[in-house]
Amino acid sequence: MDVLQDINLEIDAGDLIFVTGSSGAGKSTLLKLISAVERPSSGTIVFENQNINFLNKNEMPYLRRKFGMIFQDHKLLYDRDCFDNVALPLQINELDPSDISRRVRAALNKVGLLNKEKLMPITLSGGEQQRLAIARAIVSRPSILIADEPIANLDKNYANEIMNIFYSFHQVGVTVIISSHEAPSTTIKHKEFNINQGKLNLEKNVPLLT
Amino acid sequence: MFLVIGITLSLPSIGLLFLDNASQLSNKIKYEAEISVFLTKDISEDQIEFIESGLKKNSLIKNIHFEPKQDAWDKLQTKLKLSSLEGGISENPLPDAFFISLNTLDSDQIANLINDLKTIEGIKEIVIDGGWIKKLRSILYLIKVGVYTLGSLLIAVLIIVISNTIRLQTLTYQDEIEVSRLIGATNSFIRRPFTYTGIIYGFGGGLITLGILKVIVIIFNLITHRIEDFFGGLIVIQNFNLKESILLIFTAMLAGWLASFISAKQAIYRLEKNI
Repeated sequence: MDVLQDINLEIDAGDLIFVTGSSGAGKSTLLKLISAVERPSSGTIVFENQNINFLNKNEMPYLRRKFGMIFQDHKLLYDRDCFDNVALPLQINELDPSDISRRVRAALNKVGLLNKEKLMPITLSGGEQQRLAIARAIVSRPSILIADEPIANLDKNYANEIMNIFYSFHQVGVTVIISSHEAPSTTIKHKEFNINQGKLNLEKNVPLLT
Repeated sequence: MFLVIGITLSLPSIGLLFLDNASQLSNKIKYEAEISVFLTKDISEDQIEFIESGLKKNSLIKNIHFEPKQDAWDKLQTKLKLSSLEGGISENPLPDAFFISLNTLDSDQIANLINDLKTIEGIKEIVIDGGWIKKLRSILYLIKVGVYTLGSLLIAVLIIVISNTIRLQTLTYQDEIEVSRLIGATNSFIRRPFTYTGIIYGFGGGLITLGILKVIVIIFNLITHRIEDFFGGLIVIQNFNLKESILLIFTAMLAGWLASFISAKQAIYRLEKNI
């Protein structure tokens, strides 16, 4: 049984995308396919005019580096402090330590956690952990940001705060793909893909409200 | 961990060390190979002198001892207390003989020498006494095969022990491996800290092995020194030289690298199956 069926969608650079649907509808799977974490059992995924099915195993990591990923369960590393958590993608890219610390601080500053760089993630609140995960996703300045249920477990104030961070990235030209239970109300122009039981149920273009 | 590697490695190393020294020992006494040249019975004094001068010119021959047949007969009689039978044997049955010690142990050279000697008139038979050296050598060879077999088995054990330890570490760092993979780390990047750990294990273990060997050699030489009369100062165990020591450490590091590489690869593979 395939999780997703007959999915056909296109995302342009700079889009703000919401992938909506109930739990278990296949939102996470779709995001994993887009971000090259999983490979499709059938069908093609084309990224920057390249069919990523044809990429071999050794090339996949380099493709993944183009995405900033925010996972549903954060996937923070609880045995290292905030600074080192955010530094991980840059270490993977094998940047200079001086560059790393400069860019990590910039990313932490962006999400408002600069004063907590020496703290362990476990001491942070849920919203702060989410922001830390965002900092890790943006630190390598990806052109595409993918967030899986970033506001599912947050109260409204925190959720708005997090969403505003995403909107600010969208405004500077980053493609932002967010999955959530339902599309948050926003005045910004966006696209919504609603998935129901593995099928693309509805595609909605919401123009900029003025 | 270092100690485990050190002790595991020191077993075959000790074997190698003793083997090394035993073959050196067999080299030390190699000049004692002898051949006996028996002459025909009716040989004349002139011929004997001629043969002796010929032998003395040969560069392979170190030392010649001539034993006239009468001397040999006397010796035999005293040895076997045959005097009572003397009457029964009308003439001396033994030939004149040269006992020759050689400068070489090379079997080809010895064979050539014997062939040359055989052509000389008056020489009846030649017997090589160096056979025991050959036996010693073949025993050493057998031991060598044994030590190498033991060594490879223990290195296999070493690889298993190290890879188990690294496997535990990969389990501890499972989250880190997973996250790194998800955000685009290559497999070699993920393996790197583990392979470094394995190499360091190998290096430390190798150093400990050298330490253990040092202690064993010192103790062994102290003991042999005390009973030196027994061995005539012949047995002094030499430790590995610098090149061999480096080779030992290098082998240990290689084993550590291989073991950790396998473990890290398995950890990544496990993860790929789970995602």
